[in-house]
Amino acid sequence: MPNVLGPMPVTANRRKFLGISVAASSAFALASCTGGGDSEVEVERQSTGAMDDFAADQQFTATEAFSLSVLWTDWPELPIKDSWRFFDELEQRTNVKFELTNVPFSDVEEKRSLLISAGDAPSVIPLIYTGDETSFVSSGAILPISDYVEHMPNFQKYVEEWDLGDMIENLKQADGKYYMLPGLQEVSVPVFTLIIRKDVFDAVGAGIPETWDEMREALVKIKQEYPDSQPLADGFEAQSLLNYAAHAFGAQAGWGFGNGMMDDGSGDLQYTAVSAGYKEMVEFFRGLVADGLVDTESFTADNDGSGGGSVAEKFANETVFAASGSNATAIEFEQALNETVGEGNFEVLQIAPPGGPAGQVVEPRNFWNGFMLNSEIADSEYFLATLQFLDWLYYNPEARELLRWGVLDETYTKDADGTITIDPEHSLNAFNINPDGEIDLQEDLGWSNNVFADSTESRALKESYNTESFVDYMDTVLSTRTPRDPNPPAPLDELELERASLLATPIKDSVDTNTLKFILGERDIAEWDEYVAELESQGLADYIDLVRSARDRFEEENS
Amino acid sequence: MNQPTGVRVFGAVNVTLLVLLCVVMLYPFVTVLAQSFSSSGAIEAGKVSLWPVGFNVDTYIAVTSNGTFWRNYGNTVLYTVVGTTIAMVLTTTYAYVLSKKHLKGRNALIGIAVFTMFFNGGLVPNYVLISSLGMKNTMWAIVLPNAVSVFNLLVMKSFFENLPKDIEEAAQIDGLGWYGIFGRIVLPLSKPVIATMVLFYSVQYWNDWFLAFLYLDKSELFPVTLFLRNLIAGASTSASEGAAAAETTTALVSSNIQAVTMVLTVIPILCVYPFVQRYFVSGIMLGSVKG
Repeated sequence: MPNVLGPMPVTANRRKFLGISVAASSAFALASCTGGGDSEVEVERQSTGAMDDFAADQQFTATEAFSLSVLWTDWPELPIKDSWRFFDELEQRTNVKFELTNVPFSDVEEKRSLLISAGDAPSVIPLIYTGDETSFVSSGAILPISDYVEHMPNFQKYVEEWDLGDMIENLKQADGKYYMLPGLQEVSVPVFTLIIRKDVFDAVGAGIPETWDEMREALVKIKQEYPDSQPLADGFEAQSLLNYAAHAFGAQAGWGFGNGMMDDGSGDLQYTAVSAGYKEMVEFFRGLVADGLVDTESFTADNDGSGGGSVAEKFANETVFAASGSNATAIEFEQALNETVGEGNFEVLQIAPPGGPAGQVVEPRNFWNGFMLNSEIADSEYFLATLQFLDWLYYNPEARELLRWGVLDETYTKDADGTITIDPEHSLNAFNINPDGEIDLQEDLGWSNNVFADSTESRALKESYNTESFVDYMDTVLSTRTPRDPNPPAPLDELELERASLLATPIKDSVDTNTLKFILGERDIAEWDEYVAELESQGLADYIDLVRSARDRFEEENS
Repeated sequence: MNQPTGVRVFGAVNVTLLVLLCVVMLYPFVTVLAQSFSSSGAIEAGKVSLWPVGFNVDTYIAVTSNGTFWRNYGNTVLYTVVGTTIAMVLTTTYAYVLSKKHLKGRNALIGIAVFTMFFNGGLVPNYVLISSLGMKNTMWAIVLPNAVSVFNLLVMKSFFENLPKDIEEAAQIDGLGWYGIFGRIVLPLSKPVIATMVLFYSVQYWNDWFLAFLYLDKSELFPVTLFLRNLIAGASTSASEGAAAAETTTALVSSNIQAVTMVLTVIPILCVYPFVQRYFVSGIMLGSVKG
């Protein structure tokens, strides 16, 4: 899979994985080149509609109205309505009208690749996660936005204020430019961690495990109480579990495997799957499996996508008491438990990832989804105005609040200390906020829509709509865990990407297969050295050299 | 009844196997049907198999009151009717021409059709073609590209070839032209194959989502299959990637909504089968007598 080569192996989401593999498949390899334009904005010719003195934290209003084409993802449960206040209010405030290209959420990556390859993409392509852009870079169809961020004061301000400069470095491609702007997060916490039956953990006297060793003790106690149970499960083929567990052992695994190369502590890169930390992690879970503490069936069962499915069933039937999942998985488990154990007889909690030998560390800080631009926009007379508009939309705090909560003093109020309260007549059912309200902010008015509302968020904004339990979870992680530093950037150029993909894909397959074999006890751990030798024979050394030389080159060019 | 043991054993085995096969086919459908009347909690807990648990019709009410669903449903009906009509006109006329062995250039015409079975331009060139023909975001992008199915065409061609030549000759002597023969003699005699082809084409158009996905950019133009696909495939993607699941929490599309939409989508096409079945077997068989 070419996705193992993304320059930023920090995010653990499926979208990226799917997106790149599809985009890189041969059907879309015929990417057409579209005009790139020079990297300077010709202020005279391209500033129609732009504000002369646009600055950070200032309302953007185009001096001349224009429309902007946008790729709009249709979520199945949130049918878009032309009547949404969202469109009107935005146009009224900014003089910018959206022209939408609707794409169903189920196949958005494929359609996006097709549109870009056919030279038919809208100007603004939202919902881009780091790594999504890599496969389009060489075609020239995507704008190297880094050349123009000087016109985006809000972006610059919050990158600096939230200390995200190093992470932006990591977005750079081999040519030293970056092609997408991410959603900035003042704070970020792992989305997928462990969901536990807190009442059961308490009842057996285990409490909330802070480390993997404590987790092991807790699982042993639960197993004593419920002999038929296999208390730990992962409904994502173990990819999620290994993802958040690996950091505690000083490794990268599962969804977070990235390109496999990680910081060895001295600023150099090493291949994680042969590191001591990785082995330690494998041995730890191997021990859990050997003691019957893991529902191994869930590791190999087909992933239905939600991580719920059969795991939710086992959770409900009290054969599993801790499983990987997000906030939403927890709700799914609760619904299932309501049917079996009965409402009020249980407590489900998402906990911070347990620590381990590497300390109380969690995944590096993340960006959230942002956008990329069709490179044809660089020839538009509204180019500067577009940049200013997007800077406002994506990074201005007032705009972010607008996108989440709607119009101040109309759909929500804000008191002196910044606490946001929804207007009693309105609801935000997606977050179960004031369900009695008659008008739903999201369904009826288009606020909190998934295309724009999630991207950039301050901590306060994030806390304003999330459930109390998630805010608690966030506070726990932020106060008791340290995010790992991002890996040093080592972007590959087009040829290197191809070569690396050829090398890394079979190696990664071996790693995945053998990791599971070792953990499930199907292969003797004494054969670890042979496993390493197998990877070597698949060309691991060449691959490591390739990435390291890219790293050296990047350092040379950017120091 | 004095049947030999062999025959009775054969019959028993036959019946058992077919009943088993029938169960295998029906089970998923009955499960979906049961789920559509169940509460989502019961589905998550794995309690629903053949009979609804927590019986309710709320989901039916919710889905049927969704404007987008009905608009897309209407689109599907429109695309199916128009598409099938166009496809039938093109296929029958093309096949009739091909069935005339004395026709000059007949092999070239067959070659053109067969060629497309093995080679096509590929996704992006096709997209660019449809786009430059100005058919994007119109019904024509859905109904025209697959209007002639070569398989159907060849089946129909051999059916026409097998019609007795004498009848056509008699009609010719009685003064009918080619169009008259085709319209008044050949078509009325071809009911089985026509019924079968109508069924093939309408199922094809009814189930198709890919062309709509490629060429339509407005959700009000989508067919219901795309709506359904978004509901089902979208639900599992959104959850696994953690993006939508964790923070945006657009409530995951619950299993019973998926079930209800599936049931509503599949019912019309299911209703057509029994009526066409009579022609179905003979249509296929007649076409396949001679290659």
